[in-house]
Amino acid sequence: MSLRTARIVSLVVTVVGAIVLLQNATFSWLGNQQGYEPVQPIAFSHKIHAGDNQISCLYCHSAAEKSRVAGIPAASVCMNCHSQIRKDSPEVQKIAAALSDNKPIQWVRVHDLPDHVAFNHSRHVSAGIKCQQCHGPVETMERVAQFDSLFMGTCVSCHRTHREVTLDKTGKPVIAKEATPKRLMASTDCSVCHH
Amino acid sequence: MNGEKLWKIFQQQDADRDSVDLVNIEPRAAMSRRTFIELIGFSAAAAALAGCRAPEQKIIPFITQPMAEFTPGVGLFYASTCGGCSASCGALVKVRDGRPIKLEGNDLHPLTGGGLCAVAHAMVFELYDSDRLRQPMRGSQAATWDEVDAEIKKQLDGIKQNGGKVRVLTSTITSPTTLAVIEKFLTQFTDGKHITYDAVSTAAIRKAHLKTHGREAIPSYKFDAAKLIVSFGADFLGTWIAPVEFTRGYSQARNLRDGRHEMSRHIQFESRLTLAGSNADRRVKVSPAEEIESLLLLAKLVAAKTGQQAPAEIASFNPTNLNPRLQQVVEQTANELVKLKGASLVVSGANDTDAQVVVNFINNALGNYGATVDLNAPSAQKQGDDEAMAELVREMNAGEVKALIISGVNPAYDHFARNEFTSGFAKVPLKISLNPTRDETSANADFICPQSHFLESWNDAEPRRGTFSLSQPTIAPLFQTRAYQESLLRWSGDERNFYNVLREHWKENIFAKDANFDELWDKSLESGAYTIERTAAAQPAFASSDVGNAATRLKTRAMTLAGKLTVALYEKILMRDGAHANNPWLQELPDPITKITWDNYASVSPALAEKLQLEEGSVVRVSNGATTIELPAHIQTGQHDDVIAIAVGYGRTHAGKAGNNIGANAYPFVSFDNGTFQYLANGASIEKTGAKIEFASTQRHHTLDGRPIIKEFTLAEFISGHAGEGERERQSQSIWKDHAYGEHKWGMVVDLNACTGCSACILSCQAENNVPVVGREEVRRQREMHWIRLDRYFEGDGETTKVVYQPVMCAQCDNASCESVCPVLATVHSSEGLNMQVYNRCVGTRYCANNCAYKVRRFNWFDYPHDDEIANLALNPDVTVRTRGVMEKCTFCVQRIEEKKILARNEGRAIRDGEIQTACQQSCPAQAITFGDLVDQESRANHLKHDERDYILLPELNLRPAISYLAKVRNTEEA
Repeated sequence: MSLRTARIVSLVVTVVGAIVLLQNATFSWLGNQQGYEPVQPIAFSHKIHAGDNQISCLYCHSAAEKSRVAGIPAASVCMNCHSQIRKDSPEVQKIAAALSDNKPIQWVRVHDLPDHVAFNHSRHVSAGIKCQQCHGPVETMERVAQFDSLFMGTCVSCHRTHREVTLDKTGKPVIAKEATPKRLMASTDCSVCHH
Repeated sequence: MNGEKLWKIFQQQDADRDSVDLVNIEPRAAMSRRTFIELIGFSAAAAALAGCRAPEQKIIPFITQPMAEFTPGVGLFYASTCGGCSASCGALVKVRDGRPIKLEGNDLHPLTGGGLCAVAHAMVFELYDSDRLRQPMRGSQAATWDEVDAEIKKQLDGIKQNGGKVRVLTSTITSPTTLAVIEKFLTQFTDGKHITYDAVSTAAIRKAHLKTHGREAIPSYKFDAAKLIVSFGADFLGTWIAPVEFTRGYSQARNLRDGRHEMSRHIQFESRLTLAGSNADRRVKVSPAEEIESLLLLAKLVAAKTGQQAPAEIASFNPTNLNPRLQQVVEQTANELVKLKGASLVVSGANDTDAQVVVNFINNALGNYGATVDLNAPSAQKQGDDEAMAELVREMNAGEVKALIISGVNPAYDHFARNEFTSGFAKVPLKISLNPTRDETSANADFICPQSHFLESWNDAEPRRGTFSLSQPTIAPLFQTRAYQESLLRWSGDERNFYNVLREHWKENIFAKDANFDELWDKSLESGAYTIERTAAAQPAFASSDVGNAATRLKTRAMTLAGKLTVALYEKILMRDGAHANNPWLQELPDPITKITWDNYASVSPALAEKLQLEEGSVVRVSNGATTIELPAHIQTGQHDDVIAIAVGYGRTHAGKAGNNIGANAYPFVSFDNGTFQYLANGASIEKTGAKIEFASTQRHHTLDGRPIIKEFTLAEFISGHAGEGERERQSQSIWKDHAYGEHKWGMVVDLNACTGCSACILSCQAENNVPVVGREEVRRQREMHWIRLDRYFEGDGETTKVVYQPVMCAQCDNASCESVCPVLATVHSSEGLNMQVYNRCVGTRYCANNCAYKVRRFNWFDYPHDDEIANLALNPDVTVRTRGVMEKCTFCVQRIEEKKILARNEGRAIRDGEIQTACQQSCPAQAITFGDLVDQESRANHLKHDERDYILLPELNLRPAISYLAKVRNTEEA
């Protein structure tokens, strides 16, 4: 592409882009996915499971304690209960069918950080940060929507105010109130998340 | 430093400064600032359009929850065995979310410890090679396993009934179970035989031991126990038999850390500069004829000085080609060897039975058998039988062979008489290839039954008698491939899978009968290795009956070689015999000595180059009458004038998209003589063609402009405390405020005395950090992306060439010159002492690279292709794949630091010293690299920073790098 063409294309794209973007009612900021609430292949309700029935988040998202990802439960985990409960529900039957057909369920990803961000669930769960801090009141959601913008500002503002977390004798996380020379705040080094 | 001048480039030896123009190190962009900003607007607008809604992504969980150890996003390590060559080193395979992404050394392996070589690191890429066959083939037609099995069985049944020779031709197999499977397969036939063929053979060692000790075996060599190593051309640190194991032993015996003041001494007689020779304390440049005569003279002198009865041919030997200086060197060597009787080791790289017989004679006279050479625990590596291969070619051409099954060999490419092989191959009615690709030999086979990669298969190995290791699959086969053992089992009418066969074999033959099998199996599988304790036994007796004849033949051979130009064939450390030629990681890895990538070449000495008026890259025609090839010339210091050194393993035609038509095939220069393949072709001629090419060589790239950055001492200087002299100043004055480090400050120490230049660190880093391959053209433009640059410095004139290697990666300076010039804060200092490189902030001004004193930053000039979806599976998901226009560099494997920090914090404890290992450190066979926390006063790295040999690069710049080096020490004192 010659420079001249590049200039023209640049101008056209900028103008057209601006028009397209401003027409979009949900648009608030470049790349913002806040409020994203895709339809899932199975109408799973977090409200019923985590809210009404008080099932711990970590029962299904067990990797969150050990890994950078929280993990989506295998179909077999759902059937731990649903082999007994509400077997006749058409949504539950979809899970049973996935198991019997050996076809995994293709959930639509809601929370998707850019590829150059390495967020680690286990560190935050171990530090006693509640899931709702970032994911919002999931226990009230029929269908999960992205609660926070999950922009870097969200991460950094928290990292700036939180102290180093240690565990007491019972294994309960203790958040130190003061930074000491040895015990720093949660790091704001770029490389903590970007590597 | 002993005041000698160091130089990197041959032409630079006499120049005061390297001629690289510092200002133009990064080519200037032909674009004005204004245009640049306009185009940025375009990119931003395009990004905005694309970014208004992210594409929908799917999360696909398992159907059934896998075993408890499996956690998505967490790497698991499986102990296995590397299948890159017959050395069978212990490896740990890192598996992330079900796919193997990295090989690491297995520190529980008794032979190789935590070390791995460069080839091993590249094996992950080979697993994801999209040029592998995806299903069995009938000729060039795709077929199913049932079809090919049925047809092959039918034809084999015919042979069973009518009789006829069935041959299985494989490369060296160290797996006892596989050997049993092959044997079982062959017992079906009246005349079945297994032939082992190595393109680069060491058969002479086995034949020589049959003659002198009655055992056809390669002994195990203990480089760690030898106080004096004398090598005649054996590149035991680079390619010879088991380089990782030998490097480990060698560097252990030369370790001067922690207050040790003793190191082994290494004398190398060689005609071309090998990796081992480049590390020698005394390197003696000899012609091939002189090498033979030196060996004979050494045998004579050692025998005389030890009072050993020597055959008349040796006792009366008088060298005709050795000048007085060389005779004196050999005499000194003999004196040293005799002083260290029973603690020395003499090896020879020649695949010449006579030379090996004389070596055995010397080792025997010195009492080294049982001490540094052990025949009771022979090696099972490199078992190629050259005579059997020659016999097979004859049988095939005579039309006697009814079926030939090949696995892991490619004689249509690497056999010296490949036309003879292919004509014979064509006469075999049933030709089955079990090779993974449609290579030169498989292309002519009737059936190709592709074998699974070793990372997809069960296997075992017994590289040394009594030392076993297991290989386990870390991924289900990507394609419709099958373990070759299973193919043979099917054709033997055995429907078991190889896993069951393996377990049964171990139960019956390897574990003790009364042992708890499951417990022992699980333990062996977990650690990767199992050792049978041996009771000490006497070494077999030495018989000198053949030594005399061997000496006579050697004398004649020396006479024929004397004064003639000889082609010396060798394996490059990265390309080896050419089996892995389709691996771009290996193709782009610079050779540690020549620094040339993507090519082979005819290395000539400076004097020969001058005589023929050759320049670097002048194309020459090398011929020995029967064979002629054209190759660019490379001028190599330290090489003898009588030798043209050419690497084998190049010139593949059916390797795949990365390996085809790179360099020229030098195998035709091999000859078969006296029962073994000979890798010296005498009577060669060389002429200039007039053409000239430019090598994709990295030797001029990213240089430090001739500044003295190597420190070297002799052992005597070191012992007397001189290593601590000279500038040790760590300037305290600075216009910057000091960084206050709290919890951690990461640092690294590289021991130049341990580093052998094997280049494993470069590829370990490449695999860990998703470093792209850029290709030959881009390497020519200085755009290679390796984060570790292995600097190689020559020292001395061409007679006594000494070499020092120095791995240079980002030093994470405290007063970093890169940080202060970045306009967008894309490179900033972390609270733990790292120069962070924030890829998503970088706009690509390249100011940082220009301002970097150590020249360790790499710029992405392009979006290097990531369009091969299978190859992309090798990417490490913990590391960002960088895009065009982004600067990148080493950050001490910050993803590993973060992983371990999180683990330690989750467990509520401090990080243990040594818990975090960088990729380069982990697999260094010489354990030259130490990484650790400098805040921790007790850490290993901190400890080494206080070693008297410790120094930093360019201290006058006051950059305060976190990497320091331990000076090289040479044991120049005669023992």
